[in-house]
Amino acid sequence: MGFLLFCFMADENGEMGFLRIPRLVSSEKKKGKIGVMMRKNRGKEREDEKPRAGQIHLDASGGEDPLWWWRGRDIREVEFGLEVAVAGGIWQWHADLAAEVTIDESVEAIQHLHRQSCLFFSCLVVDSLAIASRVCFVPSYRSWYSQITMGNKEKKPGAFSTVLNSLFTADGKLRDGIDPSIRADVWPFLLGVYDLNSTELERNAVRVRKRKEYENLRRQCRLLSNHCCQGSALVTLDRIYSEVFHNLNEDSCSPKGFEGDNARFSLFMESNGYDNRPVYDRTPDSGSCYSDGEDEEDYSGIIDLDTFLAETGYSESPKEVLRRVAGLDPKLINCGSLRTGVSNCTVEDFATWQRIIRLDAIRADGDLVIHSPNKAGISEEVAKRYAKVVGLKDYDHLDPYMTYHASRLVALLEAYAIYDPEIGYCQGMSDLLSPILAVMSNDYEAFWCFVGFMRKARHNFRLDEFGIRRQLAIVSRIIRSKDAHLYRHLENLQAEDCFFVYRMVVVLFRRELTFEQTTCLWEVLWADQAAIRAGIGRSVRGGKTRLRAPPTDDLLLYAIAACVLQRRKLIIERYKSMDEIIKECNNMAGQLDVWRLLDDAHDLVVTLHGKI
Amino acid sequence: MAYRVDDDYDYLFKVVLIGDAGVGKSNLLSRFTRNEFSLESKSTIGVEFATRSTRVEEKVVKAQIWDTAGQERYRAITSAYYRGAVGALLVYDITRHVTFESMERWLKELREHTNSNVIVMLVGNKADLRHLRAVSTEDAKAFAEKESTFFMETSALESTNVEDAFIEVLTQIHSVMSKKALNVGDDPMALPKGQTISVGSKDDVSVVKKSGCC
Repeated sequence: MGFLLFCFMADENGEMGFLRIPRLVSSEKKKGKIGVMMRKNRGKEREDEKPRAGQIHLDASGGEDPLWWWRGRDIREVEFGLEVAVAGGIWQWHADLAAEVTIDESVEAIQHLHRQSCLFFSCLVVDSLAIASRVCFVPSYRSWYSQITMGNKEKKPGAFSTVLNSLFTADGKLRDGIDPSIRADVWPFLLGVYDLNSTELERNAVRVRKRKEYENLRRQCRLLSNHCCQGSALVTLDRIYSEVFHNLNEDSCSPKGFEGDNARFSLFMESNGYDNRPVYDRTPDSGSCYSDGEDEEDYSGIIDLDTFLAETGYSESPKEVLRRVAGLDPKLINCGSLRTGVSNCTVEDFATWQRIIRLDAIRADGDLVIHSPNKAGISEEVAKRYAKVVGLKDYDHLDPYMTYHASRLVALLEAYAIYDPEIGYCQGMSDLLSPILAVMSNDYEAFWCFVGFMRKARHNFRLDEFGIRRQLAIVSRIIRSKDAHLYRHLENLQAEDCFFVYRMVVVLFRRELTFEQTTCLWEVLWADQAAIRAGIGRSVRGGKTRLRAPPTDDLLLYAIAACVLQRRKLIIERYKSMDEIIKECNNMAGQLDVWRLLDDAHDLVVTLHGKI
Repeated sequence: MAYRVDDDYDYLFKVVLIGDAGVGKSNLLSRFTRNEFSLESKSTIGVEFATRSTRVEEKVVKAQIWDTAGQERYRAITSAYYRGAVGALLVYDITRHVTFESMERWLKELREHTNSNVIVMLVGNKADLRHLRAVSTEDAKAFAEKESTFFMETSALESTNVEDAFIEVLTQIHSVMSKKALNVGDDPMALPKGQTISVGSKDDVSVVKKSGCC
């Protein structure tokens, strides 16, 4: 298994910056493990294997995991490794000059360089079978943001220049953020759907399981919809919730109590080739409920789950279906309103959620249309069919793609409400899901990405407001620690609770930023969270890390504080009431520079992370 | 500074827009303050507000209209902004009966958080969707009478009655205030109580400058 690593540096203007490391000169001095890596690399190198310019070929010695070095590093080492990799890249780039480059006492120089350059780091792992792919996740400058690309059969070493080119925009500017063409591959990793260290085989297993789980959730939605329509027997959501998961845990393929229908279901699916092919043998879209329908020539026999249920479910009484599918005791099926059962402080029920979901779905942001990869493939007929399947109405003002998008929003948000009945649906969640749907053409994968996103974001939507109040309190603390003067002014206006940034917290700047800016920001936030999950930055030690900021779960809050701090002069000098600050915050759309915001946020993390 | 011109008013009235999600509160606001309407206006998260100055009986009134999130979930944060409101538009959607049924709840909540003198208008929005009507005008009128609120049916889309509904509320607020002012004395400053001064007046009202949309 080979390990292709390529990296380069560039400054903010897109100037290639690798010549700007004058102090990285030839030296025999090695430091710790990096030295080991470098030696290892050079020791293994044979004349005929000399990498081409721009590539480093790091052989895994003796079948060792080629990513061995990157795993389990603390943050300091990872950074260090990254820089060495860069240095190594330069070295290889200038291999002809036979310059031996390593690092000596130039840590400061690198740090300095780090601060003024944006560093993109990509690694591509390609094994000889050209199937397995792995992702190496390394936080870097720009708020520990990394460019991740996955190896697969499409991305052979020959595609190197393509990947490299993808780092630049059409006008030759260095791109900030993940290249749009690989987002759909990268997001499931960033959002924890797949483990960063997982193998292709493991991911396939996860895929199968996740798809089943999603389909099961849709099945519950379908049944509950029928119930809500007919106003008949209903069950508590948390009961269904526990049943579903009980079943899934036992056997994700054949939920208990589902035998009767399951046989038919599977049979139906199998007869249509739905479930026969291994997941990895499918086109990315073929597992999706909706995408299946749009490609009817290729998968003529496949229909989406909702259509299937719509066609088969209606003939039976909802009570029967529900009992059979959810494996419920008839005694639990009570007449009356469907309550979440979580607490009695809510009057919201699934029917309410369904109603509000549909309201919000048809007013989703139009600006993401141009970014969606499959916008062209949706005919009016197909769009209408999906709308009908999920019971969407009042979409006449939408074009076919947006109708399709709205229908997917409904399907996934309903499924989420069942998956997480404590939260259910709250306005704002559609803002969070919408960009994910625009990027991910596959429904179940999009759903689990959303679940990953919501792991943290869900607290904002809690009924008891605990999450949102905690977050606002942190923003307040950041402002107080950074700028006592501004904080005093806010206190005078009785605005120190920072409620004026409420919306930014709840929908993570979605209302202030464009689609492209939003995804860049979110990817950085996700990368920090992924870094934390991967254990990066957990054991920060020694003075070397002083200048650095560890990945933080609260980067968003630092960004929001940065956004307020950028307006400190205006707020202090001009605003004499909280109302004016609210107005300012509600009118920031189109005025924010996402990378400046992140740079400022990063600086705040550097100075304050230990104090907040 | 433009910022200053906006401050040339005799009275500032705080008015809240409340009602279930999707009844058209934000569009009523944008229609009244900017003469805009959008079918795709996004859900309101938390609160937003806009202002418009208008003339009511020779006085320039600046209406500060607070638009609130409709979903139950946001009730705690939005109700915090009821404080100091002197007027409220209780909005339902004439095509969805459930939104009308919620009016009682909204009214109760409003009265819990505001002064008893608050001027309330029941507003049946989306009146342009005649063929989908689910709440009869009579029912709404009966409710309004029972609760002693004003009532009007509007269409933010067709711009029907929107102006009238807001102006009526502002006029009523002004009239109540004037009456109270006579009782209290001649000092409108004595009116507002509580921390948030929402019905205020400028010290210098001798010159009433041009009013208009902000």
